[in-house]
Amino acid sequence: MPDQTGKTESHPLDSIFYPKSIAVLGVTPTPDTVPNDIFRNILTSGYTGVLYPVAPFKRSIYAVKAYRYVLDIPDEVDQAVIVYPSNVCHKAVEQCGQKGVKSVIMISAGFREVGPEGAKRETRIKKICDDCGMKLIGPNCLGVINTDPISMLNASFARKMPARGRIAFLSQSGALCTAVLDYALGKGIGFSKFVSFGNKAGVTEIDLIRYLHKDPQTDVILLYLEELRDGRGLVETARQITRGPGAKPILLIKSGRTVQGADAAASHTGSLAGEDVISDAVLREAGIIRVDTIDKLFNSAIMMTYQPPPRGRRLAIVTNAGGPGVMATDAAVNMGLEIPRFEAETTGRLKTALPAAANIKNPVDVIGDARADRYSAALRAVLDDDNVDEALVILTPQSMTDIEAIAECVVAGSQSTDKPLACSFMGGRDVQTGIDILQAARIPHYILPEWACSALVDSNAFNEWKNSPAPEFEPLDVDAAAARAVMDSADEGYMREDQCLDVLRAYGFPVPRYKLCTSADDAAEFAAELSCPVVLRVVSPDILHKFDVKGVALDLDGPEAVRGAWNDMMTHIAEVMPQARIIGAIVRGMIPHGREVILGAKRDSVFGPTVMFGLGGLFVEVFKDVTFALAPVSARRAASMVRSVKAYELLTGARGTKTADVSGIEECIRRLGQLVSDHQRITELDINPMLVGSSDAGNLVADVRIRLAPADSD
Amino acid sequence: MATLEERVKAVTGKTLNIDPGEIQTEHSFTFDLGAESVQSVELVAMFEEEFGIEMDEDAALAVETIGSACEFIARVCAEQGVAVDTD
Repeated sequence: MPDQTGKTESHPLDSIFYPKSIAVLGVTPTPDTVPNDIFRNILTSGYTGVLYPVAPFKRSIYAVKAYRYVLDIPDEVDQAVIVYPSNVCHKAVEQCGQKGVKSVIMISAGFREVGPEGAKRETRIKKICDDCGMKLIGPNCLGVINTDPISMLNASFARKMPARGRIAFLSQSGALCTAVLDYALGKGIGFSKFVSFGNKAGVTEIDLIRYLHKDPQTDVILLYLEELRDGRGLVETARQITRGPGAKPILLIKSGRTVQGADAAASHTGSLAGEDVISDAVLREAGIIRVDTIDKLFNSAIMMTYQPPPRGRRLAIVTNAGGPGVMATDAAVNMGLEIPRFEAETTGRLKTALPAAANIKNPVDVIGDARADRYSAALRAVLDDDNVDEALVILTPQSMTDIEAIAECVVAGSQSTDKPLACSFMGGRDVQTGIDILQAARIPHYILPEWACSALVDSNAFNEWKNSPAPEFEPLDVDAAAARAVMDSADEGYMREDQCLDVLRAYGFPVPRYKLCTSADDAAEFAAELSCPVVLRVVSPDILHKFDVKGVALDLDGPEAVRGAWNDMMTHIAEVMPQARIIGAIVRGMIPHGREVILGAKRDSVFGPTVMFGLGGLFVEVFKDVTFALAPVSARRAASMVRSVKAYELLTGARGTKTADVSGIEECIRRLGQLVSDHQRITELDINPMLVGSSDAGNLVADVRIRLAPADSD
Repeated sequence: MATLEERVKAVTGKTLNIDPGEIQTEHSFTFDLGAESVQSVELVAMFEEEFGIEMDEDAALAVETIGSACEFIARVCAEQGVAVDTD
């Protein structure tokens, strides 16, 4: 892509953003129609290349010679913008392929979004594009805008060309794009690239963020998604973009916070793993900042674009009003910022510059009658303080407040520091002139101080993330072949309990000593060998809920008790479920009561294998206090998972309990991640509960369920 | 008397301001002849007037080519008892 020096480095998507020539196919001479608007936008936006209208039986469009077909254009065409009705788009795309067009922006609607017939049309045009090596944006999109003066392209039907800026905006929704453009215009926010990619039949958000990572015009990437098709691909790409040299923040709005369908709810993990819950967790793992509203999206984006990265979370607040200062302090602390004490020198400077009634501690209150001189002195003092990483200036308009002068002094303060600065000039009409001065100087301004704090938190979070080491997955010592052999012998659906335990044992989980017995004598003999109270659990491919058929006998003390329980159990099952095929029963020692955790795994349709951790019992059933991660799981991520649940303190000796074997839990999470990554057939897995022992006694798997996909899916 | 196809081409040429001699059976109204959406609606009305028939507008607008239009109009004429020369 062309850089600021004009040097070019070829990229496959350059023909989308930097086409040397464009043909608009399906242009009409009628104003205020989509085809006409697009042509006019390109023509009037200052586009630096050559533009051709393709309009059958029209001599010209806006005095530009028109062609009947793209094939009739005598010169090369880099990009085709297609606005024909969907039923003839394939003809246009075929001709583009013959012409050697490099990219197609398919504005037309009437494809996958309208049903199966539209989906067929979409598949057809995608195939033609693929066969001819053409990059496809859309269909069903608003178009593409590039404010880089090298291109100055507005191949869209947006009403206005946005201002130039360093934020890239990518959206699946075209309608949202127009609203965002208007919103940004009002806030003085500019863009580097602006892409509506609609049905994303060809170029996807993953391709686009990869391109923008290398785009010298872009500092921050904003993404609006309605549908996540390749979640794992997005996560893996984002991990490369948000870390290390040249890292760029990605802020995402993902709409459609829904839960998955009923079949996913067959297990605990399935029911807890609504698509959105997993999305939240794993997108965070990729350094993607997920937000819920357009306001928050741009609040954080302008902070990251306009201001230098913060060195830490220590915030100084300068205000002329006590109440907003306290509210901002509360918000800052609640969101994870710190309100540091000032150095002695700073306190001295504030004492000299401010009246006696002022508060010279953080938050600094310069008092309601403050004019620009007080703001200036206070702001410079706190920005010079080594205990301060960033500053927030709050202003409420009072009769003597010289708003413009204070805004100018904030601008001057910002220019003399490398620390990020945010402002909240609270109010509306009276403070607008000050806000205009701040926005012109690229000082992020927020109507509410809480919004400023939130933006500073996001900026800090990104800065911490980009400097953190990438996860390293250290494989554990497991017997994958043994686990596979067990799975190969199992059918689709839920595995038998003995098979589940065999799989876990092969992967080094702490499973109790057990045996699948096939007779009462066999069971009695093994119980004697264990020499402790045992549990007897029936094994049958036809019995999913063992307790319902009295297929579980607990606390059996000695071989005779086991023999009696066996006979009772088998007699009862023969009566209530005569058709059930009985393999035998598992005998294992009774597991003591104690703290319980749940470990789960689920093969997510969007993200692939994921693992879940939470405390058992009420914490999982009622509070859904669980956390998710992509598999495989690094040691660092496993540790953060365990610490991220609200009930973590119960594992660390709270209320007089013994400290739990937390490192053992972390190791099990890693083993689980490895297991589901190694074996594609596992669709769901629940270890529920795993009994948590003290750090010297270790943990123990109490129950496990594994669900397999058909054998050919591995 | 003109055939159905000749009459369809004549109406199309008049509506889109094209010489009917340049219009071919396989031509698409939009892709080859440059009909705008408003002109497509106009074409439906003109065909109804020309042949004295009433057409379902959605079905008529879904017709893509001159040839398909001829088949569609012939079918509607037959249903509505209107005689046309389909040779």
